[in-house]
Amino acid sequence: MITQMQVKGLMFDPYNNAYIVILRDEDQAEMLPIWVGKSEASSISLALESVDPPRPMTHDFMKAYLDAVNAKVISVVITDLSENTYFAKIHLTYEDSEYTVDSRPSDAIALALRSEAPIFANESVIRKQTSEELDQWLENLKPEDFGKLDS
Amino acid sequence: MPDETPQPTEPLIELTVNRVVEDPNTDTRILVLSRTDGTPEHFMIWVGAAEGESIRRALDTSVTPRPMSHDLVRSFGEHLGIITERVVITDVKSSTYFATVYLENKGVTRTVDARPSDAIGLALRCHAPIYVTPDVWKRRTGQNLDAWLNKLETKNIGAQEV
Repeated sequence: MITQMQVKGLMFDPYNNAYIVILRDEDQAEMLPIWVGKSEASSISLALESVDPPRPMTHDFMKAYLDAVNAKVISVVITDLSENTYFAKIHLTYEDSEYTVDSRPSDAIALALRSEAPIFANESVIRKQTSEELDQWLENLKPEDFGKLDS
Repeated sequence: MPDETPQPTEPLIELTVNRVVEDPNTDTRILVLSRTDGTPEHFMIWVGAAEGESIRRALDTSVTPRPMSHDLVRSFGEHLGIITERVVITDVKSSTYFATVYLENKGVTRTVDARPSDAIGLALRCHAPIYVTPDVWKRRTGQNLDAWLNKLETKNIGAQEV
C-alpha cells in the first residue's frame, strides 16, 4: 500500500546542520521527515516557491533532459527506510513503455515538484519512522529554527 | 531547440577536467580544464560547491559515494537508452558560461541547454567528450590566473589533484 504525500515545508535542523523536508499525507495524519543536503534543500525550496532561478539548477537540467526526449515523470515513491536512509523510485514513461529508476528521495522530490508528479510513500516506511521521537524533537525546536532558507 | 549560433568554421577544442580546486574565500569550487592537444593553457570555471563536489567524485574513482544528482541523470540515460554524445561550452556572457548537452537516441540527436557544471558532471559519468568553441576559448576568464591558482593551492590542503 502506498499513501500520497504532500511536501509541507522545509526546516533547518541545527543539530545536524542539515535540512528536513516534511511530507504529510492528505489527512494530515502521517508525517514523514526526510533529511536532505543543503543544495537539494535549496532546489526543493525553489520548486515549492515556484521561483525561477537566474540559472537553472541541476534538477531543472534533469527535467530539461527528460523533456528533450519526451520522457515523463508519472510519480515518485519513497520506498524504504534502512539505517536512517530513505530510498525512492522514480516512475517514468518513455516511448509507450514504463521505467522505474532508483533515486535518492531528495532528487525524486525535487524532480516530482518540477514535473507536477505525485509523491507517494510506502506505508511500511511511514510505520518504521518513529513519530514519537520526531514529536519530541519538534518540541525542542526554537522559533528561530524555522527560518527562511538561505540558498 | 534551434541552434542559432552559426557553426564555427574553426574546429571545437576538446577539454579534460584537470582538477577541482576549493576556493576557501567563497562557497565555490574552481573547475580547471586543460586542452587535450597539450597546449599548456587552462580554462577555469567557477561552480557551486555541490556541483564541484559532484565533478570531483566523478574524477576520483577510488571512492564509491552515495549517488548524486548527476548519477541519476546518467541512470535515466541507461534506462531509456539515451547516449550523452558530447557537451560543448558554447557561450560566455559577463563571465557566465553556457553549455549544450548533445543527446542521441536511435539516430536522433537532441540538445539540452545546461550550466557547464551540470554538462561536465554528466559528461564525466558517461565518458562523453567535453568541448569549448574557439570563440569562448579566446574570451575565457582567468588567462593570467595560473600564478594565483598555484598560490591558492599551496595553502589549500583540500585541493584535489587528479
